[in-house]
Amino acid sequence: MTAVDDSVHDRLTDARIALTPTQLALAVTLLAALGFVLLFAQAPMLHDSMHDFRHAAGVVCH
Amino acid sequence: MLTRHLTRGLKTGAAGGLAFGLFVTLIGTPLVRYAESLKGGHSHSGGSAIVSDAVGSITSVAGGVVFGALLGTVVFGALFYLLEPALPGTLGTKSYVLGAGGFLTVSGAPWLLFPPQPPGVEAALATGVRLRWYLLLMVAGAFACGLSGYAYTRFRARGSRLPPALGAVVPICLLPVVAALGPANPVSGSVPLSLTSVFRTIVGVGQMGLWFVLASVHAWLLRRDRVGDIEGGDVDDSGRSALAGTPPSVFDP
Repeated sequence: MTAVDDSVHDRLTDARIALTPTQLALAVTLLAALGFVLLFAQAPMLHDSMHDFRHAAGVVCH
Repeated sequence: MLTRHLTRGLKTGAAGGLAFGLFVTLIGTPLVRYAESLKGGHSHSGGSAIVSDAVGSITSVAGGVVFGALLGTVVFGALFYLLEPALPGTLGTKSYVLGAGGFLTVSGAPWLLFPPQPPGVEAALATGVRLRWYLLLMVAGAFACGLSGYAYTRFRARGSRLPPALGAVVPICLLPVVAALGPANPVSGSVPLSLTSVFRTIVGVGQMGLWFVLASVHAWLLRRDRVGDIEGGDVDDSGRSALAGTPPSVFDP
């Protein structure tokens, strides 16, 4: 590809302007927590609720 | 620009979630029920089930929808925004490259150590140990994919004598080596071996299908947005700069 005035670094800089660190931290934390609850959380209630989905998605550590 | 990427990711996630929800409803749950009927109960929650099968099916479908939506938003919204300049490929193929990397990271790499199992197969390793190795292999998968893309781009840009494909393939081939370092996990259970292999195939195809749907929808949305921008004279720096660096052949079917 030819030289384009756009790089991962530029994107990161733009994101830093668009989002405050608090917003970013909140988003990352919430999404990571959601992923963990869906795939790995072991609480019996969650385990039973997500059981079929986890097997269907191939997650066996549950 | 970030907002547009995130919106596109949300739309992609909606399509992926719908597709995977359908998969869990029509194929996943019936298959799990069938495997359970062969074994007669799934005991690893410690005896009696808290949630009934009917409720569990519904929440599992919801889980599938949320899972697809989460992957779409995080991978094709946020990660694509960030990694687009570095991803190998053209406007139409970058989504598929990211999708392949996503599959390897989320499913492929961990499956090398813990392949999908139907209910009724009991693992010898404790759940906590398996969880830690699962997450570790996800990180290894993400790292290998990143290295693969980086090596491919560098080999190509430098006109190196080594083919770029080699740079792309070698890091991925190192993943089984990492998985081989993991602990052995002997499994036991009365589930027939043939059912296990069928189950693995279906789950594998299901995950690949999910990523394929996500990547296809994303590639379609991206092309639609950017070609529309150029024709309509709308201002979108991301679209314009990406198109400026893309050969015109991209627009041919």
